[in-house]
Amino acid sequence: MNVVVVLGHPSADSFCAAIFERIIRALELQPSHSVTAIRLADEKFATAMSTAERVAYETETPLISDETKRHAEVLLQAEALIFVYPTWWSGLPAQLKGWLERVFVLGVAFRFNKHGKIRPNLQNVRHIIGVSTYGSPWRYVKLINDNGRRTLTRAIRMSTGLRTRSMWCGIYALDTCTQQQREEFVNETVQKIVKRLEKSSR
Amino acid sequence: MTKTLVIYVHPVEGSFNSCVRNVVVEHLSKHDHEVRLRDLYAENFDPFLSATERDLHHTPPTTRPELVRDVEDLRWCEAIVFIYPTWWSGLPAMLKGWIDRTWMNEVAWVLPAGANTIRPQLTNIRRLVAVTTHGSSKFVNALQGEPGKRIISRSIRLMCNRWCRARWIALYGLDTSTLADREKHLATIGQRVARALR
Repeated sequence: MNVVVVLGHPSADSFCAAIFERIIRALELQPSHSVTAIRLADEKFATAMSTAERVAYETETPLISDETKRHAEVLLQAEALIFVYPTWWSGLPAQLKGWLERVFVLGVAFRFNKHGKIRPNLQNVRHIIGVSTYGSPWRYVKLINDNGRRTLTRAIRMSTGLRTRSMWCGIYALDTCTQQQREEFVNETVQKIVKRLEKSSR
Repeated sequence: MTKTLVIYVHPVEGSFNSCVRNVVVEHLSKHDHEVRLRDLYAENFDPFLSATERDLHHTPPTTRPELVRDVEDLRWCEAIVFIYPTWWSGLPAMLKGWIDRTWMNEVAWVLPAGANTIRPQLTNIRRLVAVTTHGSSKFVNALQGEPGKRIISRSIRLMCNRWCRARWIALYGLDTSTLADREKHLATIGQRVARALR
């Protein structure tokens, strides 16, 4: 299975980055998977959609830079998308949101049918998996609404196939978590992801 | 008379959102509101929160002199009006990045020792108004769970005054709208924002 794993945290020494590397290592051990790791901050991926890109967005050829073309190619081959990011202000970090805006465009995430209606184009994606760290406790996150999760498992999910499954792993109140709790979370998350993807690649 | 900070985000001048901005700013200025307009794209604001800046998360704002203007604006205003297009059900990365970077420790919130939830600091802000456009219908946005709306009406509102009111003024279905729909929106938008600021 083609698995694309995206890291949305800027620091290489963050807890998110540690989870990300563990997921990559575990999946690479499985011969049935081919893993693409995307570290947005390392790549210096431009956060905001530029004026030229916004103008091109309305045309038939919205991908105007090598950066976005390369990412779009990876996306069109992906069978599983795994997002690892910190939840900031109850949503996605700007760079990850920018990745969605700049790469998930016409011909990649959606297309128009002959009646001019928007149709999903990422039917190749069968799994959407989110792994996120939250500074706030679980109840607070639910009260505020987990907006990053909704963007990925609902808005992006609408661009994928009907049978695409989503899965969520979150660690809450991170600032007060002990080292042991963090360790347990990483182990559980890696296990859950491996199991989920193993089942469906048979 | 309200000190109003208008945060405008759209990369293309001449877009529908830029027309909304012109109408809103003109209407508010005419009706005695003190308006500060921030055009994040025109200013070339960098929305990327870097690793170095992330390390400064718990430090006072003096460690980030490049954001001094934003801090000053946030502490000055009594109301914020956000004017932006909704993309992928939420705020554009440019606007999310502005919030990520400028709603910082000791400006928007403080974290008392031992607590795991932050406490609000922007008690000067009593109104938040979002003026946005959606390409898709209201139904589709409801299915998606309106993430953009909740970031403003819940997540950041909780850092403002306890009685802060958030208003949502949206034009849904922009992609299928007619010129008449858009003109109707523009004709009333100034008054609707002014009413929301009352």
